[in-house]
Amino acid sequence: MKAIISLYIIALALFIMSCDDHNTANLAPEYLYDAGNQKVIKSILNNKKGTIAMLYGNDLALQSAHDSLPKPNIGAHYTLVTWKQKPMPQWYGTNMNGEIYSIETLKIVKRNKTELTFDYEFQIGKGYKPADWQSEKSQRISFITSQRAAIFP
Amino acid sequence: MKKPGLTFYRGAAIMVIVIFVGLQMISPNIENPPVTSEIAVPAEVKQILERACYDCHSNEAKVEWFDKIAPASFLVAHDIDEARSRFNFSEWDKNPTAVQELLLWEMVNAIEQEKMPLKRYTLAHSGGKVTASELAVLKQYVNTLPGRHKVDTARIVARTSVNQKASTQKTPVSLNNIPYSSDYKNWKIISVTDKFDGGSMRIVYGNDIMVKAIEKRQLPFPDGARIVKVVWGKQAEDKDGNVRPGNFQNAQFMIKDSKKYSATEGWGFAKFDGLDLKPAGKTVLFEQTCANCHRLLAPENDFVFNIPTK
Repeated sequence: MKAIISLYIIALALFIMSCDDHNTANLAPEYLYDAGNQKVIKSILNNKKGTIAMLYGNDLALQSAHDSLPKPNIGAHYTLVTWKQKPMPQWYGTNMNGEIYSIETLKIVKRNKTELTFDYEFQIGKGYKPADWQSEKSQRISFITSQRAAIFP
Repeated sequence: MKKPGLTFYRGAAIMVIVIFVGLQMISPNIENPPVTSEIAVPAEVKQILERACYDCHSNEAKVEWFDKIAPASFLVAHDIDEARSRFNFSEWDKNPTAVQELLLWEMVNAIEQEKMPLKRYTLAHSGGKVTASELAVLKQYVNTLPGRHKVDTARIVARTSVNQKASTQKTPVSLNNIPYSSDYKNWKIISVTDKFDGGSMRIVYGNDIMVKAIEKRQLPFPDGARIVKVVWGKQAEDKDGNVRPGNFQNAQFMIKDSKKYSATEGWGFAKFDGLDLKPAGKTVLFEQTCANCHRLLAPENDFVFNIPTK
């Protein structure tokens, strides 16, 4: 008799203990970046630097990237947002964007009939370390303008 | 009110015994069907799987005497049925290779998050626990699987007139009635990922409802929230370490409607493969496969993996 009752109690306890406690995730809206009306050109990963980036552009920039034009369109505006990578909390096997590292903006302006001016700015984000090595401005400009757009359905 | 006498207790005891004995008579029998195609993994990995997972996820369950006593036996039989339906190490070849890899990564994650083996199983079978060093062995193993370093070397294919036709003629609709729509191209990005376990990179979009909920730190996400994840292969790394998207692989949708999709945790799942956006899944059951993994590993995120969290 006792054995039966204790078996029942054990079974009941097992049932109760198998319930999971529901913690709620701590959302991090500070990792979001609002690119306004600019559209996605592509994402770029860099495991050597531990970063993950999104290149956005206005329609003229998107067209330049899409058609791989030798020279970007005048009036093209680009934004390259770079985040520090972090492991996805719920899935070992994926890395995702964490703190914003930098925001680079580039505007292609017409100087005269034949020449373009590149209006480039580099802003630092929370994940930026002053000691980090920086590329030359001219290298960054050619990096941004040489990206082909990702293929979308 | 008369105090219940001895006869009452005796009656009650007899009743309990009768119920208990009756339960034993209808207690389920746990069968071990034949092993048709056993998983082939290195010995040190096999050893861990056999000890921690085989009792439920194989056709070689070692059922202890106490597992056979009702009502526990009902629970044991239920858990074994459920486990075998998710994946079965004794019928491993039933899964395509890509699914086998995904399942192995899912196992590692389930063990790491202590969702598996089930607590009720390890309480009764203390040998079923997986130690930290064993988890490290499993992690090391999944990192040797082919998907881990897959590079998309194929020529990048843009939309052809054929795809164009397919996508303008008829809107692809998933088996659970979710239509493909390209609205997401005007949405905000909620995360950017490198899914290195399968060699793909993703951009994840959220509609206004979804983005506002993240900004307000509102969980669970409200009805009307939508998420679209666009997936590409990964091109080879350049000399500076940059990895760019290769070919478009698929677009995955999640739509929050707590009533309509109550069977899948309030989310409607859909996946559209390739540039012609072929709805994924052979039967409508495909959505349970999505939901099972989201349910197991991301309950504290309202079942969404790809959201910015601390």
